[in-house]
Amino acid sequence: MTAALEVLGLRKAYGEVQALDGVDLRVAKGQMVGFLGSNGAGKTTTMRSIIGLVAVDEGRVTWQGAPISVDDRRNIGYMPQERGLYARMKVKEHIAFFGRLAGLPNNVAEQRAHEWAERVSLDERKDDLVQELSTGNQQRVQLAVALVHEPELLILDEPFAGLDPVAVSMLIGVMTEQVNRGVSVIFSSHQLDLVQDLTEDVTIIANGHTIASGKVSDLRQRSPHRVVSLSWAGDTPAWAPPTAQPVEAPAGQSRFRVSADTEPAAFIAAAAEQGALISVSFEPPGLEDVFIELVSQ
Amino acid sequence: MRRRQIKEIALREIRTRGRSRGYRAITAIMLLMAIAAPVVVNLLPSSSNDLTNVSIGIATDAPAGLDEALTALAIDIYDLTIVDLRGDTRAEIDERLSESKIDVAVESPAILAWGQTEDSALTAFVTAGLQRAEALQRANDLGLDGDALSRVFGPVETEQRFVDGSSNTESVRQGVAFLGLFLAFLLPQIFGQLTMLSVVEEKSTRVVEVLLSQIRPGTLLAGKIIGLCALAIVQLLLIVLGLVGALLATDLVEIPSSVWAFVPMLVLSLLGGLTIYTTLFALLGSLISRQEDAAQVMMPVFVPLMAGYFVGQTAVFGNAETTLAKVLTWIPFTSPMLLPVRVAKGAISTVEVVVSLGLLALGSYLLFRLAARVYEFTLLRTGSRVGWGELVRLSHGSIVD
Repeated sequence: MTAALEVLGLRKAYGEVQALDGVDLRVAKGQMVGFLGSNGAGKTTTMRSIIGLVAVDEGRVTWQGAPISVDDRRNIGYMPQERGLYARMKVKEHIAFFGRLAGLPNNVAEQRAHEWAERVSLDERKDDLVQELSTGNQQRVQLAVALVHEPELLILDEPFAGLDPVAVSMLIGVMTEQVNRGVSVIFSSHQLDLVQDLTEDVTIIANGHTIASGKVSDLRQRSPHRVVSLSWAGDTPAWAPPTAQPVEAPAGQSRFRVSADTEPAAFIAAAAEQGALISVSFEPPGLEDVFIELVSQ
Repeated sequence: MRRRQIKEIALREIRTRGRSRGYRAITAIMLLMAIAAPVVVNLLPSSSNDLTNVSIGIATDAPAGLDEALTALAIDIYDLTIVDLRGDTRAEIDERLSESKIDVAVESPAILAWGQTEDSALTAFVTAGLQRAEALQRANDLGLDGDALSRVFGPVETEQRFVDGSSNTESVRQGVAFLGLFLAFLLPQIFGQLTMLSVVEEKSTRVVEVLLSQIRPGTLLAGKIIGLCALAIVQLLLIVLGLVGALLATDLVEIPSSVWAFVPMLVLSLLGGLTIYTTLFALLGSLISRQEDAAQVMMPVFVPLMAGYFVGQTAVFGNAETTLAKVLTWIPFTSPMLLPVRVAKGAISTVEVVVSLGLLALGSYLLFRLAARVYEFTLLRTGSRVGWGELVRLSHGSIVD
C-alpha cells in the first residue's frame, strides 16, 4: 500500500533528553494505524512534528511523496492529548470558528458545525458554553473541531482517554466512517484491547525509536510466545507444567505462556492427563502481551 | 488565507473580550466619567463662573438705589450678597466686620468700613456702585425716564484679544495634552493585560495546540493584537465622543479649531502605543503558563510606562522642551506618551512628529517579529516560566525547542 503520510528517521532532543531517536511511521490513504508506546516514548512529540508544532533536528515528514507543506498541514485534523477548547465559547460557535480558521466559507462552516454537533450527539447542547459540558462531552466537541474541515489525515492523541462506553462507541463509529471516506487515521491509545479490535495496523515506539510496525496479526505471529488457555470439567487442577509460565486467567480457567516452538498436541495431551478438558485454545499472545514483550526488550 | 485567519482571530477576540463584563464595565465607567466631568463642573455653582463671594453691608446712611446698582455691577465680577444693616447700631456693624460676616459696610457715600484691611478692588467696585446710584438719583431728579436711564447707565460690553493666544486656547491645549497622556498611559495597560490574559488562557487551556495545528504563531499573534487594538479604539472613540459631546453641550469650553488639527496625530500615536505594548504583553504572556505568574513578568513593562507618564506630566504643566522630554519622544516605548503632550503644546515640529511616529512603527514591527519568534518556541511550554536568560537566547535563535 502506498504511504500517504511517511515519517522517516525523526530525531529530536530537548537539551540532554533525546525525545525522538529514529521514529518511522507510515499510513496509507484510507488506513487506520494505531500508534503505540509507553508514557514518554515520543508519541505526542511525533504527532506534533507531523503537524508542525515541533521542529525536529533530523528526519523528514512527507505527504503524498513530497515534504509536507503548510497547505498540506491544513488538511490535518488534530485532536491533542490534553483537550484544548475555549471555555466561554458556545459549542456550535466553537466548531464553526475552527472550520473558518481551516479555510471554510462562513456558510459552510456554520452548516458543518450544525452537522457535526448532531453527529457527536450534542445537537441539543450546541448553544451551551463549552465550560458547561462534562469532560466527555467536551471531548466530543474536540472531535468535531478536528473533523469540521473534512481533513485527509486525522491525528488523534489518546482519543479514548476518559470516555464512557457510549462515547467510545460513537468515536469508533466516527473513526471508521472517516477511514471508509478515504481518510488516513493515526491514533494513540493505551487501551490495547480496543486498538486490537479497531485496527489491523500498528506502529510501536519505545524510547523515541520505532521498534515494530505492521499488521497486528503479523506481530502476534512473530511473538516468541504462545498463550494456552485451558478449562477442565470440575475443579481446575493445580497443574504447573515445567516449560510453561502461568499467567493471569479468568475464574475456572488456567492460562500459560509457552514458547512459540512448543508442540501444541503434546502440551494439550499433558493437560488432558490432569482431568477432562472442556475447552482449549493455543494462540499467539494478544496485542497487549506483544506490546509488553516488545517494549521490555 | 493568512489574512482571513488573522481576521477570524481578531473577530474572536473582539467578540469574547467585547462581551466580557470587565471590558463593558471599564468602558461604561470611563464614558460616564468623560460625560460627567464637564456636566458636574457646569452644575457646581461655585465653579460655574469662578466668581469671588463678597458680602456688602448697607447701612442707613447709604444712598438709595445702592443695592440695585451694586447688584447690576456685580454680574460677571462678584457673587454678591447684600446685607441690610439699616437697623443695626455701629457696634453691631463693627461686630459683623470683626467676625468677617461681611466684607465691607457702606455707612455713607463717604465712609466704607472694613474689618482689618481694605480690599482695593472691592473699594473700586463699591465706589462705582455709589457713583452709579448717585447718578441715577440725580438723573431721576432731572426727570429722565427709565428707558433713557438704562441706556445711559447700561453696561459696556468688551471683548479681548491676545497677541500670544488666548488663555482659553492654552487651557484647552493643556487639557488635550493631559488627556492624550492619560489615555496613552492607561489604554496600553488595560489592553496589554487583556492580551496577556488571552495568551495565558490559550496556553493554560491548551487550545493553543489546536490553533497552531491550523495557523502560524505570527498569525495568531497578529490577530490577537489587531482584535484587542480595535476594541481599544472603540473604547477610546466612545470616551472622546462622550467628552467632546459633554463639553459642547455644557458650553463649558469652546474648542478652538487648532485643537482638531492634532487629533489624527493623537490617534496615530495612541494606536502605535497600543500596538507596541499589546505586543510586549503578548510576548511576556507567552513566557508563563499560569495567570498567577503574570505579575512576575509584567514588572519591566511599567518602567517605560511610568517614565513616559511622569516626564509627560511635567511637560503638560511645565516645560515640554526639556532634553529628557525630547529624548523620550524618540524612544518607541515612551513616545506614545510624549508625542501627544508635545504636539498639543506646540513643542515639536511636524518633521519630528513624522520621524517619531516612524520610529514607533518600526519599533512595533521589530518587537512583533521578536514576539512571533518567541511565541513559536514558548506557546507549547507549560510548567515553570521561561527565564529572562532563555528569552534572550530564544531571540538569538540558539535554542530550538
